[in-house]
Amino acid sequence: MPPICPYCSTTFDAVDKLKTHIIAEHGAEPLPRPEGLIDLMVNGERYELQVEPNVTLYTVIHDRLGLTGVKMFCDRGACGSCTVIMNGRPVLSCMTLAIECDSATIETAEGIAAAKHPLIETYVKHHCMQCGYCTPGFVVTAKALLDRNPNPTEEEIREALSGNLCRCGTYPQHPKAVAEAAKLLQGGEGGTR
Amino acid sequence: MKNFAHINARSLDEAVTALQRYGKRAAIIAGGTDLLGKMKDEILPAYPEALVNIKTIPGLNLIEEKKGTLSIGALTRLEDIAIDARIIDGYPALAEAARRTASTHLREMGTIGGNICQDIRCWYYRNQNNRFACLRKGGGRCYAIDGDNRYHSIFGGSVEQGCYAVHPSDTAPALIALDATIKTSRRSIKAEDFFQVSVAKTTVLDDDEIVTEIQIPKPAGTSAFVKFALRKAIDFPIVNCAAMVTVSKKKVTAARICLNAVYVKPYRATAAEDAMKGKAINEANAEAAGAAAVSGARPMPYNAYMVQIAKTMVKRAILGCA
Amino acid sequence: MNKDDRERIIAPEHTLRADKYPLEDYSAIGRRGVRRKDGYEKATGYAVYTTDVQLPGQLMLRILTCPYPHARIKSMDTSKAAALPGVRALLRYDDPELPERADVSGHFGGGTEGHEPVLNRVGYWQGMPMAVAVAADTEDIANEALGLVEIDWEERPFNLDQEEALKPGAPLSNPESFPDGNFVIPAQQREAKVVWGNPDEGFKEADRIIEWRMRKDKENWVGPERPNGLFRWNGEYPEVWLKHQRPHLSKRQIARFFKIPVSQVTVHCLYQGGTFGGWSQMALNMQPNMIAGILSKRTGKPVKWQFTRREDFCGAGMDNARYQVKVGFKNDGVITAVAATSCFARKGFAHLGHFVENTRVHHLLQESNGAVLNIMPGSAFRCEQNMNALCLGAVLNRVAEALEMDPTEVALKNDGVEGRPMADLADLKRAHGFGGDRDSLKECIEVGKKAIEWGGKWHLPGTKRLPNGKLHGMGFTFTHEWSDSSGSGALGMRIERDDGSARILAQRCDNGCAAETAYCQIAADELGFRYEDVHYRQFEEAGFTTMTPDSSTNLTVNGYAIRNAARQLRQKILEIATTPRIPERPDMGYYPPFPDYKPEDLDIKDGVVYVKKDPSKRMTMAELVRPAFFMGKMDIGSTEPLFAWGWQNQQGAFMGTPGPRPIFVRQAHFVEVEVDPETGDIEVTKVVNANDVGKAVNPEGVEGQQYGGSVMGISRARAEDTIYCPATGVVLNGNLIDYKINTMLDCGPIDTIIIETGMGYGPYGSVGIGEDVATVLPSAYYAAVHNAIGAWVDMPTTPDRVLKALGRL
Ligand code: SF4
Ligand code: FES
Ligand code: FES
Repeated sequence: MPPICPYCSTTFDAVDKLKTHIIAEHGAEPLPRPEGLIDLMVNGERYELQVEPNVTLYTVIHDRLGLTGVKMFCDRGACGSCTVIMNGRPVLSCMTLAIECDSATIETAEGIAAAKHPLIETYVKHHCMQCGYCTPGFVVTAKALLDRNPNPTEEEIREALSGNLCRCGTYPQHPKAVAEAAKLLQGGEGGTR
Repeated sequence: MKNFAHINARSLDEAVTALQRYGKRAAIIAGGTDLLGKMKDEILPAYPEALVNIKTIPGLNLIEEKKGTLSIGALTRLEDIAIDARIIDGYPALAEAARRTASTHLREMGTIGGNICQDIRCWYYRNQNNRFACLRKGGGRCYAIDGDNRYHSIFGGSVEQGCYAVHPSDTAPALIALDATIKTSRRSIKAEDFFQVSVAKTTVLDDDEIVTEIQIPKPAGTSAFVKFALRKAIDFPIVNCAAMVTVSKKKVTAARICLNAVYVKPYRATAAEDAMKGKAINEANAEAAGAAAVSGARPMPYNAYMVQIAKTMVKRAILGCA
Repeated sequence: MNKDDRERIIAPEHTLRADKYPLEDYSAIGRRGVRRKDGYEKATGYAVYTTDVQLPGQLMLRILTCPYPHARIKSMDTSKAAALPGVRALLRYDDPELPERADVSGHFGGGTEGHEPVLNRVGYWQGMPMAVAVAADTEDIANEALGLVEIDWEERPFNLDQEEALKPGAPLSNPESFPDGNFVIPAQQREAKVVWGNPDEGFKEADRIIEWRMRKDKENWVGPERPNGLFRWNGEYPEVWLKHQRPHLSKRQIARFFKIPVSQVTVHCLYQGGTFGGWSQMALNMQPNMIAGILSKRTGKPVKWQFTRREDFCGAGMDNARYQVKVGFKNDGVITAVAATSCFARKGFAHLGHFVENTRVHHLLQESNGAVLNIMPGSAFRCEQNMNALCLGAVLNRVAEALEMDPTEVALKNDGVEGRPMADLADLKRAHGFGGDRDSLKECIEVGKKAIEWGGKWHLPGTKRLPNGKLHGMGFTFTHEWSDSSGSGALGMRIERDDGSARILAQRCDNGCAAETAYCQIAADELGFRYEDVHYRQFEEAGFTTMTPDSSTNLTVNGYAIRNAARQLRQKILEIATTPRIPERPDMGYYPPFPDYKPEDLDIKDGVVYVKKDPSKRMTMAELVRPAFFMGKMDIGSTEPLFAWGWQNQQGAFMGTPGPRPIFVRQAHFVEVEVDPETGDIEVTKVVNANDVGKAVNPEGVEGQQYGGSVMGISRARAEDTIYCPATGVVLNGNLIDYKINTMLDCGPIDTIIIETGMGYGPYGSVGIGEDVATVLPSAYYAAVHNAIGAWVDMPTTPDRVLKALGRL
């Protein structure tokens, strides 16, 4: 249900807009937001969710939003498989409390794929996955890197991805795929099939 | 993870009030990368009743250089420190320490305030479900003494037969070498006086005290940071070392050298500092300073190798200042 | 199906020679750049693993794990736990429904292994799941309930070290099952002492004899998806989501356990987040599934279980062994005898098998002692040949050291099969259907040496310091390639009516080596289809006793099964194209599309059927098979369903038993390291893998196993070890911070070289690759470290060991 003004019943698409409206139009203090109500923008979709304090961002994204692109390998912040991009930063969703993510913008591997980011195809082309469990975490981390540094050196790519563990040992392939995606983003020939 | 109450503090005062309300039963959360691991593993005898989130306090996330002092807000992410051109240029030991901390993601989440306030990594202390209720948790004994102590102190315990867990921070020795001051919600503390050991504590902070800012005077000399770990990313240090050395006419006039992960708190290697005074920075002198730094080492059964590494780290940190 | 295919199926001895009917032309097979079938799903996160599955109303199951290395429960009070709101069911060790012992091991599926109490009252290692299980609305509630279980423990003395455990007076590690002592013959070996030839003779022939001790510590598998499962009791029969590499065996076990027909058990085996041949909680692998089954039945709700990462670390380890090795050799480098005694933490595997299979050394003595300990059980982790590979590598390199010889020369001198030197084996190669003239090891060594610049870089041990102050080392090892588990594979293949695409239906146990892609490549070439038109679909019922989802042997068995199915299907297509089904009704399409031809006049290429002599007479598969259904029209399709089964039996040579299939394909690995003499740090600066895989069906997949195996092999050799507290017997590093698996920065560049001599027994001359690089590579690393510092360092080569070997401690 969209937020509705208790004074005049106008509906709004965001709680913040409703708040501004109540202060401006009705000169009243808006009701405080219920504790644990968070607003998330995930892959361009807006969600309003009620969460308990102990719920991690991983649980919200994986269990409640059904986005299986966040994977849980270590559950302790040591592997990168649960990475999401939050407000431009690659962060570990297993070590993030959902309740602290109010009004965050979040991107997952699914969103990166939906946006047709070239990383997906370069990852497929270069066999960056074996069992594939760690792969979306790498994709998300690589996307965060390219957002900030569109033309990274191999060393920079390796540094950026060094917090992502892959038990299958796909490491040598990732720099190739990321470099090729960077090239494609800049309009160069990446040689995708 | 068990549940808890959660408070988003909108100001320092609000945070302090919340902490006072809960006393020892609350914990501060910033980056959360250390705290949530402890909570998930339920390593502590008492689970926190409330978390006070200080990320919502405005004004604590900044890097500023003014009048010869660098100010870093406590909530500044380690990654932002690692890539800041002013810090890389003027305070390389800190930039490098931040860069070598954990992994990309953890640096994007973890704050400098959190990094210096983090808890010890002793694997007995951290064993799940409070498996070892050791001294550090108010229990009767230290399990590391008879156990596997390959990552424990080489300079003795905190008190007689006391805790041998080392302090794991990478940035702490850099801040000490750079002679930083830590500002809290109620006072200013010299970085080297900031750390201490007691039950469930690694700093001198009171339960309701919050680190707000770190101030570093423009270094007179050059600084460097080196780290030894089994892996090139993710790992906590086995040994790290930061040095700041001032040289005049090819002779060292002042040196501040700090090791970490070798003792219960960052270990200022004064013997190495003294050894360097009046000497040129070269392989032989640095080597001698390294040897001096570990001359008082008292390794445990499993960690004699750390002495050799510590010695080497001191030497390399000094040479890094050349 | 041709005669060869048929014989291979009905008479296992026919798998003892080369593929007689490879294709003349390959199109998809061996081609680079075919798009991985699982790539997009995995890159985007859409690939679903068992852990991703959630069912409405599912309960979460948690099982108590033993906090001590050895302890018995005197009494247990579960009343508080049962009363906790949200707890829906609780199972205790004394529950009347539990059998006294059951097959819960999950690996051997009905053998003698793993007959254990489902919930034991005694814990034999810290972290063993035991005594009580709770199913609750959430994992947190289940955990809280476990915390409320009150237990009066009787702690028992324990053993952590095999040599200590075998000394007189050592306490019993498991008095219930091993009341007479801690000694066991390691699992999978029939006898403690095995002799080949006449070792005494062999040592007499020797010019020199050397002897040493070495050890290898406890690695852990660390599969990224933690062990988990989901059990839904659908009224009378269960539906199970299994993370398991042998789902077909598990299915059988579930049926037997619950006394229901196998055909009424539905098993879903989704993508596997790592399997690597072994997986944790090996000894009790099916235990949580059985408990989930019981509680799902009782509560009428789906029950999901999942170990924590720490629990997973306590489940099973690998390689924990000590060796005493003695080697006799001639001054020219020819080895005359090897005697090696091992002491394993149960269970252990053969350690001289590769000498039997793989060298000309025919005087061998292998003695294996095992001890029951109070640490996690041993399991095969990519793979049980670790011990074999380590012993071969160590012997080869020690002999080279003693003679100041280049180890690649020692390797070539001793390469052979079952006691005969390789140079004399041309006739044997021919007898098994291979050309006979290629020398696999020679080729591997030649290209490998070139790639790593061995000629200019190799030196005598401990003799090269680099300008940066580090010690430089070059290491080498070799062994054979393997794909020799015995077993069978079965699968189905069909042509879809609507578009003429082909689909393989087989039980999936995807473990990441691009096997499904390779299967599609084979099917495409055998059918004459485009690769893009062939797909793989998980279909569990096709998998009864199949090799399909086995981790030790995939392609080399299943490739034949695919080929059999494809050849039958191709024949059917051509018959349908030329034979009228109902000649009376040509108007309804029941008339052959190619009426005047015989099947042999036609061919299929790129999914188009055409007349060989007149390719203008052509029809696409889609046109040929016709849509399945037209509304309002009588044309319900012109062809019968196009479906075929394929299957394949394989008789294997297994673990050091002289094989009926002498193995001619080899692999050679080269590692370059720099050792920091001041810290003991070892940096791997270059790796070269030269693998003769016979025929690479999917070259990128092969390379993936090469560099992937190298990364894992280096990781295992450098720093991986599950660390037990010597005083309390508790695992100390059961997490991914303290257990050190390689990051992207911890391994230098890896050159992968594929050699294709065609001397594998798999289809088209192929051979397995998935297990071996990770297993063999540690020996090359071990040799490189020795070459750098001039002393041997046991693996993992942690800085303390290196500094000690350097005399710095
Ligand atoms: S070293 Fe300290 S934290 Fe570790 S077991 Fe001993 S007292 Fe506890
Ligand atoms: S699962 Fe979150 S970092 Fe590993
Ligand atoms: S592909 Fe399996 S863990 Fe990375």
